[in-house]
Amino acid sequence: MTSVNNELPELDPVIHAQARLRVVAALSQLSRGDRIAFPRLQEILRMTAGNLSVHLRKLEDAGYVEVTKTHRGRTPATLVHLTARGRLAFDDYVSTLRTLIDPGEGT
Amino acid sequence: MDDESTLDDPGEALRLIEHEQVNVIRHVTPDPRLMYWPWGLTWLISFGLSFLRYGPDGRALVALPEWVPLTSLTALMIAAGIFTGVAGARSGRHISGPSSRQGVMYGISWSAGFSGLAILFGRVSDSIPDSLQALLWGGGMVTLVGALYMAGGAIWSAWDMFVLGAWISVVNAAGVLWGPGWHALVVSVAGGGGLLAAGLIGWMRRR
Repeated sequence: MTSVNNELPELDPVIHAQARLRVVAALSQLSRGDRIAFPRLQEILRMTAGNLSVHLRKLEDAGYVEVTKTHRGRTPATLVHLTARGRLAFDDYVSTLRTLIDPGEGT
Repeated sequence: MDDESTLDDPGEALRLIEHEQVNVIRHVTPDPRLMYWPWGLTWLISFGLSFLRYGPDGRALVALPEWVPLTSLTALMIAAGIFTGVAGARSGRHISGPSSRQGVMYGISWSAGFSGLAILFGRVSDSIPDSLQALLWGGGMVTLVGALYMAGGAIWSAWDMFVLGAWISVVNAAGVLWGPGWHALVVSVAGGGGLLAAGLIGWMRRR
């Protein structure tokens, strides 16, 4: 188990864990304002429900995703979406990666 | 448990991001083959039949019963409409928000356009010579299809879809100018072929 790596100090630790990076990358492809149901996200990411919940909670604590409970008819539904802050953090993360690869590029 | 595992190589992290983004797109957008091929086949078959029955200069190249071309067009269009509607809705399932509203509005625009033209053409049919009936229905409906694909390209910034719509519009206008019979041939081969090609190209791009 590696914690946040010292060689990459500028990378956002919330996103830098592989599992959460996958979650955020996936959510970033949905249109702004779209919300995806938890089981569908789980199916797309091929993660267990428990694992996905844990990572979503961490992302939620950071204000990067918003998880809303609602009802579709009588069945309860959990909807997930990337917040504006999460989108910004992801964009920053990606440009930091690019800077690390090629220091002449990015911000 | 690799729960908090990280990627130390930024290049690897970028590849993971790209992989996941492509994977999501593949899940939440419909397979282009499912969206275009039913329509391509519909046009190839029914405009092909129309050309054979109502050929240029009013000649019947093949002595099919009169009702065959229009009935096959109507039946295949309904089937293709249901099929693509279901395929499109399936890919957007369990996603709510602006994009599903966009999809629904776009779907309703198609129905509204087709119904509006059917009502209009049905109303004026009696006063239009038989020789121009197929051109009126075929040319009118295909004009709508071309324009709606171009609009779809604008909505989703999908260049492929816009080009397809523009191609259909040009082919259709050329066919209409060329005249009855020829229009059906051109739309069947170039229009239906264009739809089949669009499905194939779209599918190859996202593999």
